[in-house]
Amino acid sequence: MEIKTITSANIPVFFNNLVKSGKVVVAPVLKKSGKVFFESVQSYDQVSTDYIQTAFSAKSVVFPEVEELFSYTKKEDGDFEFRNDMSNVPETVIWGLRPCDSSAFNYLTDFFLKENPDTYFKLRKERTTLISVSCAKADAACFCTSVGLNPGNVTGSDILLTAMGDSYYVEISTEKGKSVIDTALFTDSTEKSKEEFLAKVETKFSMDEIRERIQTAYDSAEWKHESMGCLGCGACAFSCPTCTCFDIQDEGSQESGKRLRCWDACGFGQFTRHASGHNPKSNQTARRRQRLMHKFKYSVENFGIVSCVGCGRCIRVCPAHLNIFENILNVTKA
Amino acid sequence: MDKENKYIPYRVRIAKKTQESSNIQTYRLEFVDEKDAENFSFRSGQFCEYGVPGEGESTFCIASPDTRKGYVECTFRTTGRVTAALANCEENDIISLRGPFGNAFPIEQWYGKNVVFVTGGIALPPLRCVIDTLLDQREKFGEISVYYGAKNVEELTYKAELEEWAARGDMNLFITVDPGGETPEWKNFIGFVPTILEQNPPKSDNAVAVIAGPPILIKLGMPILAKSGFPNDQIYTTLENRMKCGVGKCGHCTVGKTYVCKDGPVFTYEEVLGMPLEY
Repeated sequence: MEIKTITSANIPVFFNNLVKSGKVVVAPVLKKSGKVFFESVQSYDQVSTDYIQTAFSAKSVVFPEVEELFSYTKKEDGDFEFRNDMSNVPETVIWGLRPCDSSAFNYLTDFFLKENPDTYFKLRKERTTLISVSCAKADAACFCTSVGLNPGNVTGSDILLTAMGDSYYVEISTEKGKSVIDTALFTDSTEKSKEEFLAKVETKFSMDEIRERIQTAYDSAEWKHESMGCLGCGACAFSCPTCTCFDIQDEGSQESGKRLRCWDACGFGQFTRHASGHNPKSNQTARRRQRLMHKFKYSVENFGIVSCVGCGRCIRVCPAHLNIFENILNVTKA
Repeated sequence: MDKENKYIPYRVRIAKKTQESSNIQTYRLEFVDEKDAENFSFRSGQFCEYGVPGEGESTFCIASPDTRKGYVECTFRTTGRVTAALANCEENDIISLRGPFGNAFPIEQWYGKNVVFVTGGIALPPLRCVIDTLLDQREKFGEISVYYGAKNVEELTYKAELEEWAARGDMNLFITVDPGGETPEWKNFIGFVPTILEQNPPKSDNAVAVIAGPPILIKLGMPILAKSGFPNDQIYTTLENRMKCGVGKCGHCTVGKTYVCKDGPVFTYEEVLGMPLEY
C-alpha cells in the first residue's frame, strides 16, 4: 500500500491524462433520467461526482451483458469454422466505482478464476484497472457496514480516492494502480485519517449472527411472506455487482452467426425449468430463497465470501419494494 | 475444443443415426479433427453439450461406455428447439460438442459386487453407458440387474439392446411399462418402476444400486433401495438439472450450494440427503 495526495484541482488533469494514454475510461455519467450510469468518457467534464450509487454496477466491463463466445461459419462441405478473437478488448480504467463495487470485483475474480478459469473474464480483468472513490454520502438502502465492508474499504481497488476538502487521499494497493499514477501530480501524504470524510452507514444487522442463523434458514416459514410480491423480473440480479448467472444463446442462422452468453437471473421462472416441464425451483419463493441463500450462505461455503456487498441497488430498483436486509433479518430471526 | 476455453466446441460428425422410437434417436459421433479424437477421453457418467450452431446446445449424458474408444454416443428425445434441430440432422452432418463435463461413476470400486440399475423413460441412456461398461468386463462383476420402465412400449429406449441383454442370460431384467402402456404382445411387467422394484426387491448383500430417471423416480426409488438394505453410500444416482455452461458458472443447475455440472452429476444417496429438494 502506498499513500499519496493529489489536489482536487489536479483530479481532472489525472483523469484526462488517463484518457490521453489511450485507455478506455469508464466513469459515472448523469443521464436525463436523473440516474447515474457508467459509460465510456472522453473528458472529466462529463463525469458525475454527486451520486450515491450508479444504477448499474461496473461489472459489465469484465462480464458484459451480452458477450460473444465465438462466431461460426458453416463451410460448403458442411464443416464448421469457429473463431474467437479477443485481441481488441481495450485496456480499461473504471473510475469512480464505490468501495462496495470494487469489493464485488474480488468476489467475481474468485468466482470466475479459482476453478475452471474463465478465458473471457480473465482477459478482461487483466486489462481493467479500478480507481474507486470513497463514499461521502449514503442513503437508506446502503448497508455495506453490515456485510463487513465500509465506505472507505480498499478491497478490490487498484487505487482508492477519498475526497478530503481541497485534496484527495490516495491509497494505491497494486502494481497496476502504481503504473497509472502520474507522479508529477501526486505528493506524499501528510494527512492522517480519511475517516471523518466518509459517509456514516447504519449497521442493519450483525453478520456474525446472520452467519450462524443462516445455517438453518432454508426451512424458515418466513420465506413465503418475505418473497410475496416478487414479480420475478430479475432487476435485482441485473443491477447486482456480484450476480454472475448467464444463459447461452445463438444469434444468427445455421449457416453463420455467433454464440453469446447473456446475463440471466435466478428469479426468472424458466431459469431452472427442465425440458420435461418439471421445475425444481417451481415458485417465486424458492427462487427468492435461492438468491438470498446464495449471497449469504452458499458463496461463503464455496468461496469463503459473503457475496452481498451491501450496495443497496436491488432495494432501490425493486418494483415490489423487497428489501434484502429486511428479508435476511426476518428469515434468520430466532 | 480449446483446452483453456471451455466454450469453443469440438466438431463431430454423425457417423450413425438410430431411430429408437418416433421421437428418440441415438447418434454415434466421431471427431472431424483427428487430434481432437486423440485428446478426448471420458469416464462413464460424464456428460457433454451437443449443439447445432444457430439453434443452441443441449445437455445429455454420454450414452456409450468409456471402454469403447474413438466415438461418443448420445440418445435424446425431441422436446424443444435444439433437440428438434439435432433430430433433423442426418448421418454425416456435423454438429458441435463440448465436454466431457462432471464426475463419473466409481466403477473400479464395484469390482466383485452385484450391481442393480433402476431407471425409467429417457434415463436409460445415462445408465446404458454404465451397463455397457460393466458388460465389457463382465467377469469383474457379480449379478447385474436392470429395472427399466417407460410410459408405453413405443417409448422404451434401446429395444434391440434390451433383447440382446435378455439373450445373454447373465443379467436379471425387469422391464416394465406403465399400466395402459402395454401392447397385446407385451410379455414383461406392467406397472410403475417403483412398484415393480418394491414387488421384486433386489438383494442388497455385496451390492451397489444405481438409479437414474425423471426426478420423481429418483425421489421415490432411493428410499425403496435404502429400505431393501442398500447402504446410503452404495446407492448412486445421476442428477440432470437444466444446464448451460457445464463448468459451474452459469448457475442454472444448482441444488443448494452444489453445482450438478461440476460437483456431479453422479451423487450418492447419502450426498443427496444432505441437499435441498432442488432437482
